[in-house]
Amino acid sequence: MSKRIDQYFIELDVALDGTLQHVVAGGFGASEFTLGRSVYDPCPYLIGTLDHLEEGEPFAMDGMVLVWEGKEYNTDVEMYREPSGVTVLLHNRTNVYKLVDQLNQHRNDLFFLKRELGEKNVELERLRQAADKANEEKTRFLAMMSHEVRNPLNVILGYTEMINKEPVSQEVEDHLKYLTASGRTLKILVDDILDLSRVEAGKLELSQAPIQFSEIMDQIKNSYKSSHRDIEIALHFELDQKVPSFVLGDDVRIYQIITNLMNNSIKFTPSGSVTTRIGLMEDRGNEVLLQMSVKDTGRGMTQEQADSVFEEYKQNTLDDNRIHKGAGLGLSIVKRLVTAMNGTIAVKSEVGVGTDFSIEVPFEKASNEQISSAAVAVEEVKDYIPGSSILAADDNHMNRRIVAHILKKKEVELVLVKDGVEALEAMQGRQFDLVLLDINMPNLSGEALIQQRAAYEQDNASTPFVALTGNTSKEDVEGYYELGFSDVIPKPFTAGQFLEIVNANLAKSSNA
Amino acid sequence: MIAKKVLLVGNFGVGKTSLIRRFVLNEFSEDYISTIGVRVSTKVVDLDGEQVKMMIWDVAGTSGDEKIPKSYFLGASAAMYVFDLSREETYNTLDAQLEMVKGLSGLNEVVLVGNKKDLLSEAELATVIEQITLTVDLVTSAKEDDHVEDAFIALAKQAIS
Repeated sequence: MSKRIDQYFIELDVALDGTLQHVVAGGFGASEFTLGRSVYDPCPYLIGTLDHLEEGEPFAMDGMVLVWEGKEYNTDVEMYREPSGVTVLLHNRTNVYKLVDQLNQHRNDLFFLKRELGEKNVELERLRQAADKANEEKTRFLAMMSHEVRNPLNVILGYTEMINKEPVSQEVEDHLKYLTASGRTLKILVDDILDLSRVEAGKLELSQAPIQFSEIMDQIKNSYKSSHRDIEIALHFELDQKVPSFVLGDDVRIYQIITNLMNNSIKFTPSGSVTTRIGLMEDRGNEVLLQMSVKDTGRGMTQEQADSVFEEYKQNTLDDNRIHKGAGLGLSIVKRLVTAMNGTIAVKSEVGVGTDFSIEVPFEKASNEQISSAAVAVEEVKDYIPGSSILAADDNHMNRRIVAHILKKKEVELVLVKDGVEALEAMQGRQFDLVLLDINMPNLSGEALIQQRAAYEQDNASTPFVALTGNTSKEDVEGYYELGFSDVIPKPFTAGQFLEIVNANLAKSSNA
Repeated sequence: MIAKKVLLVGNFGVGKTSLIRRFVLNEFSEDYISTIGVRVSTKVVDLDGEQVKMMIWDVAGTSGDEKIPKSYFLGASAAMYVFDLSREETYNTLDAQLEMVKGLSGLNEVVLVGNKKDLLSEAELATVIEQITLTVDLVTSAKEDDHVEDAFIALAKQAIS
């Protein structure tokens, strides 16, 4: 027993010059110490220490490392100086310090890991900011490009609409059909790209107004009746009678969701049918869970294809982009819109049998108050256009011709000018019932013109100004309202849309 | 030959052990093994014909406000405070740290060494040095054996002064 304790300490009597005089007790490192020899060789840390000890003052040092025959020992040392010499007590604490060493090592490793993580986080933050910036640039670029595309698109669709109303040969009529379809596809594509960038930039805001699914369904039916006369598949629509008459939601986006799904189904259904159904899943009192589904008898998909169908630019095969028009953005937008509405979307599909897209979205039921206030907003207005005087400014002569053509049959006193300067001149000494202004015009833009109120207020102080523009983002439109525009006609527009907005603004000014 | 006890102190991980290994054994290892307690190494240097046996105390690195045990400084003739040029936290309170070392050791001067020069570009190094209000005696790299001997010679000179 005592021998075992001996291994953990040794007590030495040492002369002030470091010579070992006596081994008092213990056996730790006994073979390293020789009577009459210096203790400085086995214990180098005693050099410079022994001769500085104060007499009668106990002195201790912890964790002193000794290396004997290649092996390291951790020792705690106690010393006591008397006139005749120094008593040195070495404690072998190697086992204890081994644990301390491990803890210390772990602590330091953690420190460096933490530091490394901190650096990585800084780097990640930098990369995130760079990615955000790149994304913003992309969004800006897309918005700009979509505007640039909208102007010529307006001309293409406007002229196509104009030619469509002229007596033409069967051959030209066939050509026009393709021209119209391509123009519409291009418009959808531009809208899709903008929508996707808007959602990605977190700029999509959903409205919460009373909406009627029966009305949405009718709109869709009418739209497809006129635009898909040439397709050889049957379109079925079913509206569950249990769906509440009014719920709160964004009808434009719901229309977009359903038509995107229908367009996708029609695209991949060479024959058979596409059935659109809106049903009640659950009535939760103030809220309902509605299901919107679009089921087709088309070519269907494999499970793998179905899994990635909501990713951007995904159509099932590379050839799809060529065979089936579109960039594959429609379903991706649907997924994002549904998510934004706190809903879910699922797809079931079987190759050769068909595909069934099913969406479940919760809607708040509209209160009577909300419904009646919405009803006031949709009050019908009479046709104020005939006999009105309208000034239209657009630097693109083709756009001017489209405006002229649309208004021709309405017996309007129309003045067409090609920029803001000419528009200001036209307003000198003449009052107009409505001014239509393109935004991007040379010499004086629509935005600059409306701000020069002093130049036109003498005769046109109460004239409504309507912007004709391809800049259709929410921010742009809000900006135009702030500048004083009373409305915005987004390009490309159809004759119907154009006349509706023009009439609404003439109605407002005539009732004012 | 005279023997002089000198100490290397500073935050953990600044490269004190690496500097000693480079100076005494001319070795360097990328592995970081933290020092526990005190390890004493010996090297004899020639200072203008005078042989000085340096008893170099490698004192375990500290962190934050941790204090070095005063007992380690008993009989010390000189001390080197080492910081890591690439780690701001090792040099942003140098004034206080040096005052603490002087207080514990009773030494009037402490050799101030910035290590790990190899991790910085010339421009970065200049920025760091500019940030430090005290005079940095030597800028070293144990890894590249840059000015290591100079740092220990400066320490030895201070020990015999």
